Amino acid sequence: MLEILKELCALDGVSGEEDAVREYIINKIKGHCEYRVDPLGSIIAFKKGKNRSVKKVMLDAHTDEVGLIITSVTEDGFLKFAAVGGIDTAVLMFRRVRIGNINGVIGGKPIHLMSGDEKKKLPKPDSLYIDIGASSKDEALELVRIGDRAVICGEYTEMGNKIKAKAIDDRAGCAILISLLTSDSDYDFYATFSVQEEVGLRGAKAAAFTVEPESAIVLEATTAADIADVPDGQRVCVLGDGPAVSFMDRAAVYDRNYYNAALSSGIKCQPKAAVAGGNNSGEIHLSRGGVRTLAISVPCRYIHSPSCVACKEDIENAAKLAKYMLNGICSGSIE
Amino acid sequence: MDIKKVLFELSEKDCIGHVKDAYEAALEVLSRYAEIKTASDSGIIGFIKGKSDYTVLLDAHIDQVGMIVTDVDSEGFLSLSNSGGIDIRALPARQVTVHGKTKIPAVFCSTPPHLAKGETEYTDISKIKLDTGLGVKAKDIVSVGDYVTFSEKPAFLAGDFVAGRSFDDRSAVAVLLEVAERLSGKELPCNVEILLSGGEELGMRGAKASAFIAAPNEAIAVDVSFGNAPGISEDECGVLGKGPMIGISPVLDRKMSDRLIAVAKENGINYQLEAMGGRTGTNADVISVSRGGVKTCTVSIPLRNMHTENEVLSISDLYSVCDLLEKYILSGGLLNA
Repeated sequence: MLEILKELCALDGVSGEEDAVREYIINKIKGHCEYRVDPLGSIIAFKKGKNRSVKKVMLDAHTDEVGLIITSVTEDGFLKFAAVGGIDTAVLMFRRVRIGNINGVIGGKPIHLMSGDEKKKLPKPDSLYIDIGASSKDEALELVRIGDRAVICGEYTEMGNKIKAKAIDDRAGCAILISLLTSDSDYDFYATFSVQEEVGLRGAKAAAFTVEPESAIVLEATTAADIADVPDGQRVCVLGDGPAVSFMDRAAVYDRNYYNAALSSGIKCQPKAAVAGGNNSGEIHLSRGGVRTLAISVPCRYIHSPSCVACKEDIENAAKLAKYMLNGICSGSIE
Repeated sequence: MDIKKVLFELSEKDCIGHVKDAYEAALEVLSRYAEIKTASDSGIIGFIKGKSDYTVLLDAHIDQVGMIVTDVDSEGFLSLSNSGGIDIRALPARQVTVHGKTKIPAVFCSTPPHLAKGETEYTDISKIKLDTGLGVKAKDIVSVGDYVTFSEKPAFLAGDFVAGRSFDDRSAVAVLLEVAERLSGKELPCNVEILLSGGEELGMRGAKASAFIAAPNEAIAVDVSFGNAPGISEDECGVLGKGPMIGISPVLDRKMSDRLIAVAKENGINYQLEAMGGRTGTNADVISVSRGGVKTCTVSIPLRNMHTENEVLSISDLYSVCDLLEKYILSGGLLNA
C-alpha cells in the first residue's frame, strides 16, 4: 500500500485536472471490481463481496490536490496565478512548480532589496508570479495556456517511520481504497474516488447522489499540529497515535454510534480533538435524505503544502479501521 | 567542459562550515588545469603560469548561505540561526538537509490553519522550528553546531534558463573552472590565479586571507547580481540573457571597467553595466584593499531569487562571462594599458 501511495503522490492532480490520478487508479482496480467514471470525473466502483450487506455503504477518498491555476501572462513572460484550494503564501514563496512538463519557479524579490518592514511580512498573494524562463508573453504562451494547472513540487522522502510528500491529502485515502478494492471483501460495498474536494467538496456531492448510500466512510488526511511550540490542547491529533476519528468539524456532524464504535474497535486510533477543517463528509452526510457518516483521517503535519508528513503506521491502521468499520456496518454488528 | 553539468553537480553539493563536498569537487576539477598553491578554509588558489610576472586574480566564492543548529528541544525539534542572509518568510513547510552524523531530510514547521491568527510577523528564525520526523531520536544524529542547507535539485526551465540552489556563487565557480580549462596550456601574457574563496557569505572572510596570500597585481571578483523580475526596478538589476554585468563603482578600478568593456566590444560579447554608489557587496570590497591595495573590478552574473533554493539564471550568460574573462586575460588585462 505504501508503494502505491508513493506512486500516487508523485502524480499531478490539481482540482479539475485529476486525469493522471484517475487513470492510475483505474489501472489498479480494473478486474477487481465494477467501475465507471461519472460526468465530473469521479470513479464510482462497486466491489462484490462474499456476502450481501445489510446496508448500502459507500467509502470515499478524493483524488485532487491543492495547487495553482494560470490566470494571465505578463508582457515579460511571467505567469500570474490563482490558488486552487487553501495554500499559505509562505508555502508558495520560491517554490518549484510544474505545469505539465514545463518547470517553473515562484519568484520574488531577494531579501537584499527589501526594507526592514518588507522582510517581516508576507508579500500580497497577487504579487506572486511563476517564472518559466520565458522572456516574452508570446514565448510563454507557446509553452503554457491560460487555465493550465501548476503543481507545487515535493518529492517523496522517508523520514524515519514517517513519510514526506506532496498530496498525502488525500492520496493516502486513495491508496487505502485501492487496497480494499483489490483484496477479497467479506461484503459488497461502493467506493468513490471523487474529484474537486479542495474547491468545495464538489465531486463527492454528485457521486453520493448517484450511489445513494445509507452509510458512508470518508478516508482523509487531517491537520496534525503535534509540532514545536503548540501546547497539548491545540494539537488536534498526534502522528503515531493512529488515524483520527471525527465527531464534528466545520462541515459535518458525524454519526455518534460510528464514532464510538471506531474508538472502541481495539485498533489504534484517536479522536480528532478539534472542531476544525472539513472534508467530503460535509456533502455526503447531507446527500438526498441524509447519510450516516464517519471520517477516518490520517494525521498529517504541514497539510496543504508539498511537504506533508505522515506516519506509516497510521496509514496502515487507517486501512485496518476502515475495513473493521465496513465489515461491522455491512454485517449489522455496528448499528 | 560542459558548464551546465558542472553547475548542476556543484549545486547539488554543499560548502558551508565543515561541510565541504562542493569544495572537494571544485578542487578536483581545478587541479586538472592549474597548479594548486593553497587549499584551506579561506579558499583554493590555482595558479596558471604566464610569460610575465604580472598576475591577474579571478575570484569566485565556493561557500553558500545556510543555517546552523542552535538547539534541539525536548521533543527533538531543532532551532536554527542563519548563516548568511536567508528569507525566513519562505521557510515554513520547506524541506532541507541536516548535516548531522549522517545527512537527513527535515521539514520546517508551518502554522496549522486552525492556529493561524491574522498576519504573521517573520522576525526571528529561531521561532520557526525544524522537524526531522525522528522525534527525540533526532538527538542521536543532530547536535548543536550542525549545518542545515536547502535541498532543491537543479532543473531546466524554458530556453536556456535553469533553477536551483547555491547558484550564488557556484555559477561563477563553474565559469572559473571553464576559464581555467580554456587558459591552461596556452601561452598567456600574464599569470592567472583562480581563487575559489570560502566564507564570503559571512563577511568575505576567505577572500581577505586568500588575496593576501595571492598578492595579485589586479583582480576580478566574479559573483552574481540581481536579475530582472516583477517588482524590481530596472536600475537595481541586470537582465537575464543579456550577458555579464561589468561593475563601475568608486571602490573599483575604472581602467579595468573600461578595459573589460573594450574587450567585450572587440569580441562581440554581450555585456551590461552595473553602476554602484560604493561598496559592491562582493569579494571585490576586500580584495581591493588587500596588502597595499589591488586594482579590482566586478563581473556579475544576473540571477533571480538570490539566496533561495530556486535561484534562476541563463546559461548563455555563463558562456558570455567565460568569453569575456578568457579574452581579457589573453589581452593581458591592464598589463599593457
